[in-house]
Amino acid sequence: MTINKPSGDTSHLYDGKVVRSSAPSRKKAAGQVGSGSSIPQDAIPDVAIPSFIESLLGGPLVPKMKFLPPDKMVQNLQIAVYGVLVALALLTYMISPPEGTMWYLVTGSLGFANLIQLVVIGGATVCGFMGTLKRDARLSLVSNLLFILAILRFASSKTSLSSDVLGLQDNPGMLAVLVVVYSVLLIMYFELNNGVIRYSMLDTSIRTNEVYVMNPKKIVSKYHRSLVLNPIIATALAWFVLSANSILPWFVGIFSEDTATRMRESVELTSVYGVALGTLFVFIVVGILFGLNLPTHLQRFRERRAE
Amino acid sequence: MWSRKSAMLGSLAVAMYLLGLTLRNSQLVTIAVVIFVFLTWAALMGNHADVAASGRRAEEWTGEEGVALGNVVAMRKLSSARMFEDGELNVTLRMQNTSALPKILEVRDRVPEVMRIKEGANYILMELGPRRETYIEYTVECPLRGFYSLGPVTVRIQDAFGLFHKEKELHVYNDFLVFPKMEDLKETFVKSRVPKIFTGAVNIRQPGPGSEFYSLREYFEGDSFRAINWSAYARSGKLMVNERERDAVSDIIIIVDSRAVAETGPVSRNALVYSTRAAASLAKYFLGRRDSVGVIVYGDDVVSVDRDTGKKQLYVILTKLAGAVARGNIPLQVVVNRILPHINKGSPIIFLSNLEEDPTIVNALRDFRARDFDVTVLSPSSLEFEFDAKRLDRTGYEVMKTERDVLIGELRGLGVNIMDWEPDMLLSTALAGARGF
Repeated sequence: MTINKPSGDTSHLYDGKVVRSSAPSRKKAAGQVGSGSSIPQDAIPDVAIPSFIESLLGGPLVPKMKFLPPDKMVQNLQIAVYGVLVALALLTYMISPPEGTMWYLVTGSLGFANLIQLVVIGGATVCGFMGTLKRDARLSLVSNLLFILAILRFASSKTSLSSDVLGLQDNPGMLAVLVVVYSVLLIMYFELNNGVIRYSMLDTSIRTNEVYVMNPKKIVSKYHRSLVLNPIIATALAWFVLSANSILPWFVGIFSEDTATRMRESVELTSVYGVALGTLFVFIVVGILFGLNLPTHLQRFRERRAE
Repeated sequence: MWSRKSAMLGSLAVAMYLLGLTLRNSQLVTIAVVIFVFLTWAALMGNHADVAASGRRAEEWTGEEGVALGNVVAMRKLSSARMFEDGELNVTLRMQNTSALPKILEVRDRVPEVMRIKEGANYILMELGPRRETYIEYTVECPLRGFYSLGPVTVRIQDAFGLFHKEKELHVYNDFLVFPKMEDLKETFVKSRVPKIFTGAVNIRQPGPGSEFYSLREYFEGDSFRAINWSAYARSGKLMVNERERDAVSDIIIIVDSRAVAETGPVSRNALVYSTRAAASLAKYFLGRRDSVGVIVYGDDVVSVDRDTGKKQLYVILTKLAGAVARGNIPLQVVVNRILPHINKGSPIIFLSNLEEDPTIVNALRDFRARDFDVTVLSPSSLEFEFDAKRLDRTGYEVMKTERDVLIGELRGLGVNIMDWEPDMLLSTALAGARGF
């Protein structure tokens, strides 16, 4: 190939010729670049290689974004978080007595387990408060994990209360309502907590012109509406799902009253497995509806109706 | 599509549900069920958005209501399809909702990452009413040459809590070209030793047969009497003749090294960026002088623009330079062997390269010099770029700099006009340095 071949000695071609070799004038060359040829430094894209942990979590552990001071929407959300946080902390303490907690299993001491449980709930509350105030996602995440840790109990089939101020222990229906309300509060806490970060990011992005929001009032009002409606709907639906073990005998009763009676009296159906069975039944139905692409059909129906 | 949040909530619910069943703890099962219900409701409400959309270019759009293939339609219009580096491009994105229902959309128009949004935003959160359309305008700054494409437009609809979303890419693309920016050159000190006589050509600032006055000189035997300047004779008492500028044009050959190694350094400060800008500036200057300019860009292939004159030629050259991509490793010798038979003897050759990783450079340039070509080499130093970007330590820099200086010295010994072009040096200064001024 021509590429690697030397082109041959051509020095004879220079014989008799004056070969000029002038050194460049560095002094003259020391000109400064004018504004015309300068390249903006930020035109160079930053290459951020995520660490192993970051790649697992799908993003940076420490948020790079510095939030601007919170606007009214974020402040309102923060206040809502504080309210939910206090209620959640109280309810968590109420429905998670030290018996059955992992601290009790490890130490075998009720007093010590109670103390640790209080520390965990207190830690979750403080972290949640600080996370919301500082809008630090890491503290909020710690708070969420501590709340989950506090509610994990390794005993008992029935709900028991650590402090029964309202005398609900003997009312299974109210106890179930309390747990459902607790669950909804827990999810709302997760959501509001996350909302503070999300809307802080959005607000900062809007104010730094990274994002343009058209008609922000409508977008915010949709969120506010969901914050009220979704917990109500979730409570109602959850109540329905959790009552499936009661609804099932009623449904079976249409065909056979004897079987329905046997089901009502069945220990299994009234136990946690009954709840699980009912839930499974409901979610199979939901799964089938999703499998049949109900949301799309629903949307088409809404579109047609809007036409 | 599940978001990370919904996936974590879902996992938590499954874990609690299974743990609750294992431990026979109805409390955990209840919490899990509530989370499931919450997620199901969000999925039901969030999934309503079937963004069955299509995108078309604004120019192709003819109908009053857009393409009736989906609910969301995107169209885009650019202020210009060609610009120079650091130029600004105004983008108008037109979003239409052909559905009878309002939609809250998250729209992101994808912009090449080297570009900066100067005004407006390419990321918009909007509530688009039924059968409504909206215009989104933003301006991007294009700091680097190249062929670029805007798009696709990504549209996303999600539930209020951001648990589930549906995303769709609307394949609306607009291509545009960013030419390398040019420096105004007053003088390049590059002239052909064998200029071509050309009717109606411009002056090349050398005495010779022409129409424009160049200078006065003493009369020598053989000079035409018609050339005698009698006024000057009357003033000085010596016979003086008028010298005229030589009307001629030259063939100028610009060779741009676009091998992979030419891109060593930061993306906006490397040898290829400097070389393309220099080639564009030189081409503009020489074409303005009505010379014929040919450009050869080599990397993984030898791309050449045949010598020609005029504005059209400048546009052709700029297009080729805009598309120069750092690729391949063709030695200069191959390029020289290929072009040597086609270049007029004595044509000035300007070679723009960082002179790295090519052992044939010395031989190739020797071949040019042996045939009496006037060779000018401007060598943007990749070492400086790398050192400035702190990717090279002082010792490594010094060693490589010494090697580079040795090579430059060797080339200078061949009679090549060469300049080690440092990053902060203007092209005109570098050229003057190369030509020994």
